[in-house]
Amino acid sequence: MNRTTTLRRFGVSLLFASLVSLLAAPVAASNGAVGLAGASQDNLAVPQWLYLATGGATVGASALLASFVTDRRFIERVHSWRTSVALDDVVRRGLGIVGSVLGLALLGFIVYLGFTGPQAPTLNFAIIVTFAGLRAGYTMFTYLVGDTWRAVNPWRTVATLLPNGFVEYPHKLGRWPAVAGILALVWVETAAGVTRQPNLLAMAVAGYSVLTLLGALLVGPDDWFDCADPVSVFLRFYGRVAPIRWNDEDGLSVRLPGMRLVTDDEVTDLADIAVAVVLVWELTFSGFVTTEQGAAAITAVVEAGLPALVVYGVLYLGGFAAFLGLYVLASHLTVRRIETFETPRALAVRFAPSLLAIAVGYHLAHYFAFSVSLSPMLVGALTAPLSPPANPVVLTLPAWFGALNVVFVLLGHLLAVWVAHSQAYDTFPSRMQAIRSQLPFVVVMIFYTIVSLWLVSLPTASPPFL
Amino acid sequence: MSDTRNDGDGPDRHVCERCGDAYPSARLLTLHRGARHPDDLTADEVEAYREAYYAEERELKSFRIRALGVLVLMYFGFLILFILFAS
Repeated sequence: MNRTTTLRRFGVSLLFASLVSLLAAPVAASNGAVGLAGASQDNLAVPQWLYLATGGATVGASALLASFVTDRRFIERVHSWRTSVALDDVVRRGLGIVGSVLGLALLGFIVYLGFTGPQAPTLNFAIIVTFAGLRAGYTMFTYLVGDTWRAVNPWRTVATLLPNGFVEYPHKLGRWPAVAGILALVWVETAAGVTRQPNLLAMAVAGYSVLTLLGALLVGPDDWFDCADPVSVFLRFYGRVAPIRWNDEDGLSVRLPGMRLVTDDEVTDLADIAVAVVLVWELTFSGFVTTEQGAAAITAVVEAGLPALVVYGVLYLGGFAAFLGLYVLASHLTVRRIETFETPRALAVRFAPSLLAIAVGYHLAHYFAFSVSLSPMLVGALTAPLSPPANPVVLTLPAWFGALNVVFVLLGHLLAVWVAHSQAYDTFPSRMQAIRSQLPFVVVMIFYTIVSLWLVSLPTASPPFL
Repeated sequence: MSDTRNDGDGPDRHVCERCGDAYPSARLLTLHRGARHPDDLTADEVEAYREAYYAEERELKSFRIRALGVLVLMYFGFLILFILFAS
């Protein structure tokens, strides 16, 4: 009798453990837009190290499982599946015009209402639309559905209407200006209080507009928005994961999510790898400094006598360098492990698109719940920009929403594992090589997963000293 | 990008006539031609490809068994960890 109860207890506790590990994860993942975040907390029912180890093991196990798929034809069928819907020229031009008008109107409202609207983050159109809209919702639309920024981008609309292209863009710079730009924008978002003070945000957007227009007019909008403009490059890279793409030849082309990452060789040099890494890193960084533990760590270092900005700067750029370095290191290890004439650089370029799938998972984990709960506020702001509501509505999310963060981080990594697996089969003639080439990258991915799962499990706080 | 391939020279360089890709061993070139240009192969080459393919199949089989072992270990390892530590 004793034995059966023990067994039953084991069974029940096991079932319970798997359920809580799935469902009792944290509620509000941290993100950069702390000005809008209501911090809430829920404790894990499994010890943290076990939760992190399980996440890491899930990625490792899925890489092993993917390595069981060795049929080249099946792998190719998955990533080359496509269908397309023809789009009438008139419809396309009409949508383009609607997009441009919408983009210009939004930019105008953001700057105007940022200065003149109510100076409270939850009431101001500029803050709501920039962070709940552009940073969260629109970015999600970009990677879940399709990249429409080219049509909406108000600065492109203006720059194409004016005389432009006085200087040739120095192409040897690649996308490094955009990398620096994205790092700078995320820095402004975290450090300058633009998520809390609408007039500051409006000033930042106005300044950004001037810089962008000058740049776009100088080198021509195509080169500028392709290589140098941080927002465009940011959205363009996210858009590569999306299933739908506008295409001049066949209208709307539809693919399986993430499979363009395998077939379209759009990452070509170290700068492009850096863009992909920066997308992963910026979410990790803003995720770290906006948690209680991150804030406590920074406070501790600052109280030891270092200036706060130096601490943030070293953490920000050092962490980015570490993320990029680890990834490049993985490609060096891969070349050493297998017989090949591919250079480490070439392999790093080849596997970089899979990082975008990871970035998508992180973005969803950090912004999905945030964006759903603020959606009534966003709809209210967009439908009546000039009359802010007295009581902004925010949806209260059920507790299981917190578990989605974990699911998103893992799903992003699983997609990345599959993308890298498909790339490896495209690259190497030997199937064993394709499998072996994955190991260093999988180890790096496990590391990214653990860091990220740790971050989404921590309670949100305001970053100190900023 | 110019430096995508490290063009090692000497006897260890096996170049595909069709696409110019170079491989460090004859076996890899055979596998490459079989997978990428199956219509170009002569009867002898088809035979060689088949042989290389099945040789690799054996290697894959042993890899799969080891991978399965690791998966089983991971599964039961985590099962035990959850029983012991989750509450």
